[in-house]
Amino acid sequence: MSVLSPRLSPALLRLNRRAWIAVGVIAAVALVVAIGGIGFGSTWIDPRRVVEILSGGGARGERVVVLQLRAPRVVIAALAGGAMAVAGYLLQKVTRNELASPGVLGVIGGAGLGVVIFLALLSDESNSLVTSIVWQPVAAMIGACVAISAVFLLSGQQASSAVRLLLFGIAVGAVCKAATLILMIVGPIYRTTQASRWLAGAVNEINWGEVQVVAIGLAIAMVGVFAVARRLPPADLDEVSARGIGLNLPVFRILVFALASALTALAVAFAGGVGFIGLMAPHLARLIVGRPVLPGIVASFLLGAIMLIGADLIVRVLFAPTEVPAGTVTAVIGTPYFLYLVLRRGSTNG
Amino acid sequence: MPLASSTTSNRAPWRIGQRALFLLLGASLLVLMYLSLALGYRLYAPTEIWGALTAFDGSETDVVIRDLRLPRALMAPMVGAALGIAGVLVQTLARNRIASPDTLGLNAGAAFAVVMASGIFGVASLPGLSVAAAAGALGTSFIVFGLAAAAGGISPLRIVLVGVTFAGLFDSFVNVVLTVNETMLDQLLFWLAGSFADRKIELALNGLPFVLVGGVLAFSLARSLDILQTDDSTARGLGVPLGVVRGLSFVSVALLSGAAVAMAGPVLFVGLVVPHAARALVGLDHRLQIVAAALVGALYTTLADIVARFVIYPREAPVGAITAIVGGCLLLVLLRRRAA
Repeated sequence: MSVLSPRLSPALLRLNRRAWIAVGVIAAVALVVAIGGIGFGSTWIDPRRVVEILSGGGARGERVVVLQLRAPRVVIAALAGGAMAVAGYLLQKVTRNELASPGVLGVIGGAGLGVVIFLALLSDESNSLVTSIVWQPVAAMIGACVAISAVFLLSGQQASSAVRLLLFGIAVGAVCKAATLILMIVGPIYRTTQASRWLAGAVNEINWGEVQVVAIGLAIAMVGVFAVARRLPPADLDEVSARGIGLNLPVFRILVFALASALTALAVAFAGGVGFIGLMAPHLARLIVGRPVLPGIVASFLLGAIMLIGADLIVRVLFAPTEVPAGTVTAVIGTPYFLYLVLRRGSTNG
Repeated sequence: MPLASSTTSNRAPWRIGQRALFLLLGASLLVLMYLSLALGYRLYAPTEIWGALTAFDGSETDVVIRDLRLPRALMAPMVGAALGIAGVLVQTLARNRIASPDTLGLNAGAAFAVVMASGIFGVASLPGLSVAAAAGALGTSFIVFGLAAAAGGISPLRIVLVGVTFAGLFDSFVNVVLTVNETMLDQLLFWLAGSFADRKIELALNGLPFVLVGGVLAFSLARSLDILQTDDSTARGLGVPLGVVRGLSFVSVALLSGAAVAMAGPVLFVGLVVPHAARALVGLDHRLQIVAAALVGALYTTLADIVARFVIYPREAPVGAITAIVGGCLLLVLLRRRAA
């Protein structure tokens, strides 16, 4: 057991230290991108002044612009991007599938279906919810978790093939999306508009209250993530070897799915279905920090944050004043990368 | 002996059983088309329908039947037939039982081309939009199959992954165009959901030549496709000009799925489901498959269109959502059975 524990190996310790230094560098980049993201807009605000305002100084007019309009948007982008990236990291690890990400495993489709079922079932005659709206994200998480578990159960033995698992995910996602569409029409009109706004996501109309909700939810989920993270390297093993070291892989998998679903549901709730961040950020993180898990998770979070802030910045530069979804940019960048992974010969099994 | 039997079946593919089958399918289609006129939010008696079609007098009943029910009763079978035939061709070309105009991104490419043509280039004429849709589907098929060929013999499953990815990319492009051009959003949102409701009869008439040309082209390629489904070297050895057959097949698929998308928007997974039913009925002979796929596809979409009117009565569901649920479930079954 002591041989397996990463703690005691000096070589791993050195690897870990290098990884954490890399994480520090990524964090610095993330900070710069975030300040740039706040500075850019209809009027350019100098980064030094942004820092000044954030630390409590600055002129009144600019304070309103920065603190009320721009900062919440950047923060929510950072949190959502980070959450997606960590979800992707977990899924790639536990499915041993480098092509896995929340989008292609039916998680996003399941979250959407969870929400519309919630709205359809728990609204009374007069279109008002019979229960608190707080439960809506919970419904999303349940939907997401059911969807990804269905993908796994249906694929069975074939889950070991990267490409096949993805196709199962795509099929489940398509069914969820179609069912969502029908339920949205069944539901009362008022709820429909609410659901569609939720499904499309809107970084642009964010206020600090919503940021708070995401931050708290994310904090809780991250505690769970770090708790399972210590177990993640053995989950790289197959089922038999996992049992050999006392890990119940099916149960562990469901736990990780639940966490990934929670992270995705949070992100989707406030930033919409942003594709490919859950694929690219973990890859980049592993490229930079290598195999160690904890630095890998932190690096994924930071890189996901950088990507979504950056994508939001790009759509603001290119398409202002219209609000094109940031997911477009990640799709344009992510598609060629994903295709490269799929088309690379002998890359993944299946 | 197998050789002899195969030549006889080639010479006379229209055996009694098959002729009866096609007659039966055709008759059922006529019945369903009649039901498509009769059933819905209001039910109409045969005399009312007959009256509306032969002696239109401007009454509300006549208007509903002639202007609302008739276009969809005509359009649904056309779209189903087009997507069914396109599905047969695509599954043979990709040698892949889960290939379809949807899973290879062709329909999404066509939809993107339509949105671009009308939103950016201001194309308003119906033939213009159909041509744009066909061009979009053709371009996408070249990209997807081109990438697959360039990567060198990738597994059929990966081609589908490539196609689905492109479909996602086109969807997000469509979103960009619609966000930038908000006036278009209202006009196109309903079309993008995939439906036969509220379509004008002109739209159906405009799609007809595309479907006919695409269908006839597909049928004329049937013999070559029979040989193509073996493997490349066999086909080449038997003197089939692979490049020409593939190129013409893509043109046929593009015309068919382009016309379908231009008429109804993306009606998902019809081209995936129908070829399986067609093969189950008539086997692998492509001439039979194509005719069967046309009939089964027409039946399927007409039925789905009727179901869509009742599944959440009194509201109406987009038919694309109904076919997506059926097709998605079939895809899961095929994957589980390792049929692909």
